[in-house]
Amino acid sequence: MLQNFGYLAPKSLAELYAVLKKNSGKAMILAGGTDVLVNLHNGCMAPTTLVDIKKIAELGGIKYDKKNGLSIGAVVTCVEVAENKDVIKHYPLIAKAVGEIGSPQLRNRATIAGNICTGSPCADSSCALIALGASLELSSADGVRTVFLKDFFIGPKRTQIKPEEVLTRILVPADMAGANFGMNKLKRIKGHDIALVSVAVAKTDKVMRVGIGSAAPTPIVTKDLAPNASLKDTLAAVAAVAKPIDDVRASKEYREFMINDYVEQIYSDLFNGKGR
Amino acid sequence: MLDTIPSKDLKHIGKAVERDDAIEKLTGQALYTGDLEFTGMLHAKLLRSPYARAKIKSIDISKAQKLPGVHAVLTGKDLHYRVGLYLVDKHIMAKHITRHFGEAVAAVAAETPEIAQKAVELIKVEYEELTPFLDATKVFDKDVPLVHPDLGRYSYIKEVFTPVPGTNIANHTKLRKGDVEEGFRKSDYIFEREYTNPNVQHVPMETHIAIGKWDIGDRITIYTSAQSPFTVRNLFSFSFGISHSNIRVITPYVGGGFGGKAGIGLEPLVCCLSKAAGGRHVKLQATREEEFSLLPCRSGLTYRIKTGVKKNGKIIAQKMTMFWDAGAYADYAVNVTRASGFSASGPYEIENAWVDAYSVYTNKPFGTAYRGFGHVEFSWGVERQMNYIADQLSIDPFEFRKINAIKPGSKTMTGEVITDHSGNVTKCMETVAKAINYGKLTAGEKAREQKTGMKIGKSVVALHKAPAMPSMTGTVVVLKLNEDASVTVNHALTEIGMGTYTSLRQIIAEVLKWPVERIRIPIENDTDRDPYDWQTVASKGLLLSGNAAILAAQDLLDKCYDIAAQALRAMKCDLDHDAEKVFIRHKQESFITFKQMSVGYAYPNGNAICGPVIAVGRYIAQGLTNLDKENSQGYPAIDWTYGAHGVITEVNPKTGAFNVIKVASAYDVGRVINEESVRGQAIGGMIQGLGTAMCEGYIYNKDGKLLNPSFTDNKIPTALDMPEEIECFAVETPQVDGPFGARGVGEHSMIAVCGGVGNAIEKAVGVDLTHMPIRAEDVWKALQKKSEGQGKKLKAKKK
Amino acid sequence: MKIKLTVNGKKYERDASESKNLLHFIREDLGLTGTKEGCGAGECGACTVIMNGKTVNSCLVLAVEADGATIQTVEGEAKNGKLSKLQTAFKANHAVQCGFCTAGMLMSSRALLNKNPKPTVDEIKHAIEGNFCRCTGYTQIIEAVQDASGQLKKKGGLKRA
Ligand SMILES: Cc1cc2nc3c(=O)[nH]c(=O)nc-3n(C[C@@H](O)[C@@H](O)[C@H](O)COP(=O)(O)OP(=O)(O)OC[C@H]3O[C@@H](n4cnc5c(N)ncnc54)[C@H](O)[C@@H]3O)c2cc1C
Ligand code: FES
Ligand code: FES
Repeated sequence: MLQNFGYLAPKSLAELYAVLKKNSGKAMILAGGTDVLVNLHNGCMAPTTLVDIKKIAELGGIKYDKKNGLSIGAVVTCVEVAENKDVIKHYPLIAKAVGEIGSPQLRNRATIAGNICTGSPCADSSCALIALGASLELSSADGVRTVFLKDFFIGPKRTQIKPEEVLTRILVPADMAGANFGMNKLKRIKGHDIALVSVAVAKTDKVMRVGIGSAAPTPIVTKDLAPNASLKDTLAAVAAVAKPIDDVRASKEYREFMINDYVEQIYSDLFNGKGR
Repeated sequence: MLDTIPSKDLKHIGKAVERDDAIEKLTGQALYTGDLEFTGMLHAKLLRSPYARAKIKSIDISKAQKLPGVHAVLTGKDLHYRVGLYLVDKHIMAKHITRHFGEAVAAVAAETPEIAQKAVELIKVEYEELTPFLDATKVFDKDVPLVHPDLGRYSYIKEVFTPVPGTNIANHTKLRKGDVEEGFRKSDYIFEREYTNPNVQHVPMETHIAIGKWDIGDRITIYTSAQSPFTVRNLFSFSFGISHSNIRVITPYVGGGFGGKAGIGLEPLVCCLSKAAGGRHVKLQATREEEFSLLPCRSGLTYRIKTGVKKNGKIIAQKMTMFWDAGAYADYAVNVTRASGFSASGPYEIENAWVDAYSVYTNKPFGTAYRGFGHVEFSWGVERQMNYIADQLSIDPFEFRKINAIKPGSKTMTGEVITDHSGNVTKCMETVAKAINYGKLTAGEKAREQKTGMKIGKSVVALHKAPAMPSMTGTVVVLKLNEDASVTVNHALTEIGMGTYTSLRQIIAEVLKWPVERIRIPIENDTDRDPYDWQTVASKGLLLSGNAAILAAQDLLDKCYDIAAQALRAMKCDLDHDAEKVFIRHKQESFITFKQMSVGYAYPNGNAICGPVIAVGRYIAQGLTNLDKENSQGYPAIDWTYGAHGVITEVNPKTGAFNVIKVASAYDVGRVINEESVRGQAIGGMIQGLGTAMCEGYIYNKDGKLLNPSFTDNKIPTALDMPEEIECFAVETPQVDGPFGARGVGEHSMIAVCGGVGNAIEKAVGVDLTHMPIRAEDVWKALQKKSEGQGKKLKAKKK
Repeated sequence: MKIKLTVNGKKYERDASESKNLLHFIREDLGLTGTKEGCGAGECGACTVIMNGKTVNSCLVLAVEADGATIQTVEGEAKNGKLSKLQTAFKANHAVQCGFCTAGMLMSSRALLNKNPKPTVDEIKHAIEGNFCRCTGYTQIIEAVQDASGQLKKKGGLKRA
């Protein structure tokens, strides 16, 4: 890198909290680094210290039980998520979404928590998790709070997380286990690319939600829809939140068209029994 | 140098001999410029313009100079040299004015890259933003900003180029063949359309890099990733007024070029920094972002074609107007204009042709040579136009191409008569048409359509290209016989990855009748060691260097026969040889071995004769002429390589998303020298062509700022973007003056892929595309237009 | 910061700058220049190495993060001065042109074969998706990996018309 910064690798959460407190505002959490190192390379951030959280055992692991649902630790990589038996069995949408992120090399490093924390509207895991009604456990020396993912994003690449906080676990509700799903991502090439738009639908016998990426300043989700909502209502709910723009990747109109097309495709798959 | 030996009687030619440089590259031992370290070497970083066009009001470098570890800080003001290939129009860094986004404004050499970067950030520049000139097609508008108000004072090669001072025209190429107006009068139909291409980046995986050392006493050493050490040396000598003999240019392994590393790049700047730093080595490696906007790209093209055609499908007149978006400096773009001007019709015969090709200066990163040298870009227009006309005339587009294809007896646009030995474009087209089952859908394809809801379309497109090079392009191959009867070859055609060195080894081995393993060509080139070669461009390497290699091998044998004749007391005409020895044909126990004569032959009593064996083969393109500046008539082409692609695509009729199912390609290579090298060039270029067709290209905002200067938003094809099926064919119509009948195929594979994809999409879903690249969104937009009725079959304009 | 790591079976102990990425550390501090930089931003895969059994873009890893890691680079692929089967297959199938992507390609292919000794063409394409090659058009690389895994039915493929 062309700039200088320090590096700390606390071994426990308590140590981490202390480090974050001491370096408040100047420290930056380093998980897989696939976003942080690119930003450093481009010179668009200048932290004084990187705080590597990968040595903290408490942040590892994927846990699942029927009552509490799924909990993914902050340092779990995309590959670990995609290969996890419980994820594949109960929340295949998540496995599908993290499989969409970047290249194999990238998925070997990138964490799902890091993906969310970038606050990027095109983060593939956010698109899926938001449809699943996931929430995040944010912790600091002052305690733990849980926020819904849909409330976590407050603007382009801006989230609710405070400088001294860390995302410790991602929680996916038990009642979304086994949800029917579908996900489509629009790219410019078949190789790795950032989503021009992405659509993820999760449907149980109680609720249906559509998560949409690259369609607004943040990842977005429709209101809760009835599981038997009509296509028309579903599209209306999507239109109510999706506000894509023109940029170098695609035009607003094409994005709008493709969001609708994806919703229709997935809807038809789900309701014709082709979905899971 | 045609040899009519049937392929089956050749030992090495036509085989898939393995590459000699593979082991170094596969083990990480091959040293590229970036891998070199020198004691005391400094590292350079640049400050670049954020504006497309701005006046540099002031630059304050005082803080940067004071930073510990900084050895030199330079700005454009300090450097009074101009560089340029054909038109000397470029300062080493922007001086007083910046002419494109990303242009270098100041440079620092420091002990580490980090210090250099910090120093760059301490430089303060005051700019006054000026209105840029961005649209090449507006070149004739009144009162547009001039990119080079001093154009009239620049020196340029007058025999070949025509800049127009007082305008933004860096070169105007005119071609006039027959009487185009008369042709239009005789035509039954006339079609006039416009096709566009953006700027595109070469994307060699190794970005540009150079290490320079300018000694006190003005001796210069340069290590660089370039396509030609001799071109770098020559241009450097010209710009700085230093003798060629005092400039040494070394090209280590080169990580790809594709035209972007032809000519001169970072070398002058690192040398100036070295001089300013008292003669230390200075290294500058372009970042990927710099590769996109500091270093050259491919020019954009707006191509207007007006075609007059008879009812029977014969084209009889065509007027072609090309606006090349050359960017801020002329570099190779002016020659692209010239070379594409004389072949702008594609491989089709046009009785009455008229071309006006303009290289237009704009305030954008500048264009240079790029694999295909203009042909990829104009071919997009030509191949779309061919389909459009065929469709309007209700003739099958493949049949339409065959009617108009160049064949023996045809006259090219410059008036050259095509012969039986020039290559066979129709055979290439027929080969690929068969390979894709052109004209119908197979049962499997119909079932696939049913299953996927996608629509399948097929197309056949054709291409041609001749090397674009000076009429006096020459090269030398030197063979040095070693003590063990191996040969070390000195040759300076830079091996940038294309595999020509392996083919040259095969050629030399074939002539010598030796095993290929005894021939070695070191990959690194060094102007102090190697004999002159122009450069690795234009797909001329195999033809020129191959002929020089044959001559050198013959010279080696000749010299060995001289020694043997003397040593064996025999007539030369009675001698023959095998891999080990020269012997008397009628008395085979009388021989001397190559080892015995390698460094001088000694008789049994110790008396020695002849000295070490060294052989030379020199070859130069012959019979080429400069083109008449008024009409471009003349002989520009040493050979024409023809080819064709057959493309199958499937398109989603709703979203515009498409897959390339198959590409079959055929090239008339004259004679295959190395099967797998031909295939490697064929597939590599085709995929690069697919990139151009599907996803690559610069995007600017209205102020001329480049919005996608990295891989994030300028994608290139990955392994997942390959067509499902690829098939490659070689047609072998021998080239009379080609080595063993061979001709070049380095660039051709990239040409016409875009047209092939566009036409197959059109066939599948009936949309009309005129802009490249074709993104799914563009197909979607065209589908929307079609459903609104705008894309409907226009009735041909009957005159 | 002091770090210890094993690269190509050899143990190293070095003082690594906190702000240096693994790519530059390997190239500059360990002198292993076979691993290349094509973008520095995780896009091109030229810098791919195998770290603790998994491929990573070494430009996106800090050297200090590799403390305690086991790493393989292209220099570790040949054993005892002999090309590996994979390297031999790359050579035999003309899977190398300019060679700048080659180190990364080999590492992605190596990691794939370690996990999956008989990959399908599709699996090979997915495994090298993160490795750009501008020269070869990938075909001969894929054939090389098939060859190395004993699956290539027919070498070459240029047809004479
Ligand atoms: C070439 C390339 C291609 C890509 N393609 C895709 C793609 O297709 N889809 C996609 O969604 N993304 C893509 N990305 C982005 C993706 O790699 C990142 O978003 C990644 O998931 C981030 O995870 P990480 O662990 O590497 O995060 P890091 O880079 O370590 O961190 C990212 C950000 O989150 C913060 N952070 C990380 N963990 C925590 C935590 N536990 N608590 C608080 N803050 C935290 C960091 O401080 C930093 O600001 C791509 C990136 C690259 C370089
Ligand atoms: S250099 Fe690391 S991915 Fe390009
Ligand atoms: S061989 Fe040149 S990039 Fe792959």
